[in-house]
Formats: sequence, structure tokens, C-alpha cells
Amino acid sequence: MVAFDKCETRPAHIEAILSGLDRYNPETTTVFQDYVAQQCEDRSFDCYANLALLKLFQFNPHLLQADTVTNILAKALTVFPSAAFSLCLALLPTNTQPFPTTSEAQAASQTSDFVESVQKLTRLNTLLESAQYAQFWSTLNSDDLYADLTADVAGFEELVRIRIAVEVGKTFRSITAENLESWLDMRRDALDKFVADVCGWKVDGATVHVPTNKENEARSEVKSERVGVEQFGRVIRRGFEQPA
Amino acid sequence: MSYDERANARPNLNDESDVEEEAMVNDYREQVNFDDGMSELDRTTSNGGAGQDLQAQLAAAATPLEYQATLETKFASYDNYCSLFHYILNSDGPVDLEVPSYYWAWDVIDEFIYQFESFCRYRNRVACGGVNEEEAQLLRENPNTWGCYSVLNVLYSLIQRSQINEQLAATKRGDDPLTVAGEYGSRPLYKMLGYFSIIGLLRVHCLLGDFSLALKTLDDIEMNKKAMFARVMAAHFTTYYYVGFSYMMMRRYGDAIRMFSHILVYVSRTKNFQKGGNNYDAIAKKNDQMYALIAICVALHPTRLDDTIHSALREKYGEQFYRMQKGGPEALPVFEELFRSSCPKFINPTPPDFDNPASNVDPVDHHTAIFMDEVKNTLFNPTIRSYLKLYTTMDLKKLAGFLEVSPEQLRSWLLVNKQRSRQIRWVEGGLLDGEPAIANDLDYALEDDLIHVSETKAGRRLVDWYLRNLARVY
Repeated sequence: MVAFDKCETRPAHIEAILSGLDRYNPETTTVFQDYVAQQCEDRSFDCYANLALLKLFQFNPHLLQADTVTNILAKALTVFPSAAFSLCLALLPTNTQPFPTTSEAQAASQTSDFVESVQKLTRLNTLLESAQYAQFWSTLNSDDLYADLTADVAGFEELVRIRIAVEVGKTFRSITAENLESWLDMRRDALDKFVADVCGWKVDGATVHVPTNKENEARSEVKSERVGVEQFGRVIRRGFEQPA
Repeated sequence: MSYDERANARPNLNDESDVEEEAMVNDYREQVNFDDGMSELDRTTSNGGAGQDLQAQLAAAATPLEYQATLETKFASYDNYCSLFHYILNSDGPVDLEVPSYYWAWDVIDEFIYQFESFCRYRNRVACGGVNEEEAQLLRENPNTWGCYSVLNVLYSLIQRSQINEQLAATKRGDDPLTVAGEYGSRPLYKMLGYFSIIGLLRVHCLLGDFSLALKTLDDIEMNKKAMFARVMAAHFTTYYYVGFSYMMMRRYGDAIRMFSHILVYVSRTKNFQKGGNNYDAIAKKNDQMYALIAICVALHPTRLDDTIHSALREKYGEQFYRMQKGGPEALPVFEELFRSSCPKFINPTPPDFDNPASNVDPVDHHTAIFMDEVKNTLFNPTIRSYLKLYTTMDLKKLAGFLEVSPEQLRSWLLVNKQRSRQIRWVEGGLLDGEPAIANDLDYALEDDLIHVSETKAGRRLVDWYLRNLARVY
């Protein structure tokens, strides 16, 4: 069971704010900000609470803390594929223009640092959501600004690597090490260690074998009809009403 | 046969029996003729205590403003709402009001939010256009008129005063709601205002782009025909539209389709005796919008639709539906056009920047851009599916050759398609709850560059056939 509004790691005081009207109280902004900082440190993620903070910023633009917003977005990157990142974007000021059109991109030099940060993180999100993992790493490594944006998120690269590995494990039964090297941005020796220790996969020469799981089985099956006694209720009743 | 398979994999889709549907239609007919069950409302009216002014205020609150209303009228209307709600909420104890009609509670909340929405959009337009300096100045000086905090405050206060959430929770448990209703909530006026304020909140959160909170708001309301909103056609309709749309924005297309189908089937059955109703036009427009949204959802998430809906969809949006289902870059403008014409009129909660007209982006553009990014990411899913359907095993490089893309690109597409075929689907509990489900009958796995394709097939369905023939001969 997945419930979007629940989070196992959510402390009681945050839960109390979220379920009451205090979620609209500008004074709770700092409480939520501390909670975001905590999520960055302990590698947890609470989308529903972070959206509440973005909503407070939406209602009180003067309170908006650019660092906190970019941290929320960076955290949302680590849970792809999901709608988390776009749900966050939806609450940002509309003039942030997360998806610049080409003419706007040329004028990017005039936009604020905040807008540029959001656009850069959005670009990363698009690459992850469209499973272009090699481009994701090359983009991430292409500009120091990316390193700044993700610096507060403890283990950002590792979290993304694990997510990619999980997704790969759902689709592949075996894959070349070369492919994984580019998707996980790891060199061969580090890769061998990562897939063996973290993922529990087997390395065999140039191929990495993923053990069978529910997702990569892809078994053909024939779903048969479910037949219950109650479907025959009418027939049976008739049998009693009019003995043949 | 493939339609049957999907239907089989999704038992929830057809669980609404015609019998229930028919009962609901009859229920609606009854209501149109006489407002039964609502007569309590009339009985509670005071003995002429409400003055002429108050009556005029009550009627005005539920009446749409003229299309060409001036800014002054809009300001005055806001003041009218403020004083009315203040009177209802903060008098000494509950007030006895003779309301013009049973639908008044819905109408007043509906109109209140509509005016908030159109005011925000108007304010944005004035700021962008820079044509009317006088109006811009007036708006600049009154940043708190139709402010988001005051609108939310009204809705939440009505909900709290009426203890409506507690009442609904009690009903759900099988207890008597009156035990928790309190002094205010036991009166139909407060109960109705509170109830429709929940629906109003759903709508406001959605307009502000907070889709998860929109769904969360409905935690205590059960989405079925016995719900109170189902007794007012416009409320019934609005609820399903916004719930469906919120699901869609959370990428839960299966749930969105379920919501849209439910209400569209209902409308298609009640259409005949609704014509001539005063909000028929508004409903007809929303109806078309929901067909467009369902077309988008089905394109992103192939699903078997109810036959009535499927044929109406082909009639209204046949060409667009076909192009979206086919995918590829040619489908992009269709997705965007349909999304823009059928999404809610999103608003900015805060006043725009009157000094920099260019910096004010229309919230509809903002949300369209976010949605279109996901559409772009999944644009080649239909292509992938149509090819893989033909094979049981396929070499990746060979398929990449057919599609004229690099093997690397094809791997990404395969990953994306696999990811999108897994979705959260509602089973029970709150609207935000759900179980991960496989949404596609086509599955595959890669062994290096070899794609193994598998299909989930439905066995023959014999019970129906057997029962039908049995009934004929026996």
C-alpha cells in the first residue's frame, strides 16, 4: 500500500502541522525548512511535507528561500521515476519558467540565479525521466553550478545511482558492463564492486547478470476467468422454484 | 481479444452495474421534480426574521456577476461575501436563514470560487496588458481583495464550524453524524455550506496547482453515488472533473480515467432531461473538456473504455485521439491543444508584478509546460508497443534499425515504457492511497541485446455464455 500523504520517517510535530491549519501559517516555514535540511542529511524524502513548504512560499513570496527550494528539487530528483519533481514545479512562481524556450535560453544571462538553478535542475529531471542516464551524468559534470546545487543533498550521486540500478534491474536480465559504466558513471573496478555489493548482481566477464525478479521475468501468462458460485445463484434458485 | 484482456486485468472498470446506474438516474429524476430530503432546510427558516437586505444579499451571493462587470462591482461583490460569511460564521450562535433554494449552498460556494478565479485571472491580464492604468492602480492599491488567505479562510471556517469532516467520518463508521455535529453542524444550512466547502477546497487547491492536497481534502468523502454531492448535478460533475484532473497531474492515469468515465457515463444517461436546465451550457462545456482529458489519459495509458464513452470520444475527438494514440512528434501539438482547452483555469494566488508586465507568466502556460515535459518523455511509448506486439523475441539493434534510432536511444525508450507501465492504482481508503499495478498487457525483459516479449492473455470467458444459454433453454 502506497499513500502519497504518508511518510514513515516523518516526525510527529511535522505530521501535526500538516494535518492542521498551521500548514498555512507563515511561521511554520522555518520548521519545514529545518525538516528539509534534515531530509538532505539523513537521505529520507517526504514529498508531501515539502509540497506544503512550497505552498507557503507560493502564498508568501517574500519568504521564499532559494536554497531550500533548490534542495527540495534536488531531493525530488533522487526518487525518479515519479511525479514528485513536477508536483514541486507546479507550486513554484510561474515566472521561474522551468522549461526555457530557445529564445529565452539566449536571454538566460539576464535571468536571476534562482531561475537558472531551477532550469538546470529541471533539465536533469528531464534526462532522468526519459532514461537518458549517460547524458544525465555528462550534464551533471559539465558545470560547477550543478555540484553546488546538489552539494547539500548527502549522497546525491549514490542515491541516483541506486535508483538507476533499480530501474535497470527491472528491465534487464543481463547487460554489458560497458553500458552500465556509462549509465552509472563508474569505472570498471568501482562498477564491479557496486553491482556486487550494493545490487547483489553477478559479474561475468563483460556481462552483468541480474537475478530474476518480479519485474524482469516478463512471463507470458493466460489469465483465466474468475468463477464464483454466486454467479450461478439465479440458476440454482430457479432449480428450486420449479422442480423439473 | 485484446480488449477483453484489458477488461479482465481491470475488474474495477465494469463493476458499476447497470442496475445501480439506473437507480441513480431515477434518483436524479426525482430530485428534478421535487427537492425531497431538503425540506428540512425550509423548515428551519426563521419567522421572517431575515430582513429584505439580507435576502437580497443571499440571492446576490449565488448569482453570477454580469460578464462585463466593472472592477468596482467585483470589489463590492467581494465585500458582500465577506460580510455575509462573517454574519453566518461569527454571529452569536448559529443563524436562522431562509435561503432561496436548496441548491443555494452549492451555488454560493461555486460562485464565490468562480469570482475568486476570474478576479485573479483578470488581475494577471491587467498586469500583462498594461492598457488600463487606472485599473492597474486600483488593483495595486488593494492587494488583499480576493486574497488567497481570505478565500481559504472562509472555506476552512465553514468546514470547521459545521464539523462536516467529523460528521462524514462518523457516517463512514456507521455512527450517527448528529452526535458529533454540534450546535452548528446539525443545521442543514451549515452542514451543506461545510460540505460544499470541501468540494470548493478541492477546486481551489487544484487551481493553485496543489494536486495532492486537492485529493487529500476529500479524505472523508466517499466517491460514490450515495455521496451528498451526487444530489446536486453541478457539484457531482465538478467533483469528478477536479478529482480526475488531479489524478492526471499526479500521473495516475488509470485512476483519472476511472473518474472521468464514471461521470461521463452518468451524464450520457441523464442528458435527455437535463436540457433546458440553467447550467446546461456550462455542463456541456465541461463534458467536452472531460472527453478531451480522457483522450489524453488513454493515449498515455491505453485502457479499454466503456462503449458509450468510446463512441462519443471518437465522435468528438476522433482525429486528435488517433494522432495522440499513434505518438511521435506529430502528436505533441495535439496533446498541448487539448490540454490547454480542457485544463482548469489555473491562477496565481498572489498579485502580479504590475511594474514588469513581461515577468508575469500565465499560470496555464506554466502548468502546460510541466505537463508537456512528461508527454515528451513518453512520446515513443506507442511506437515501442506497436513493434513489440509483433514479436516474442527481437534483437535490439535490429529494432533500432527499423526505427532509425541509435541502440542507446532505444534502450532509453524501453526503460521509459517499462517504467510508465507501472502505476499506482487506487484500491481502497483515501484518494491518495493506492497499490502499484502493472498497467499494460505487454511486458518485456532484455537479455543483453535480446528483447524477450511476453503478453498477458485472457482465457476464454465462458461463464457468461453458459449462463445466457442456460437461461434460454431452462
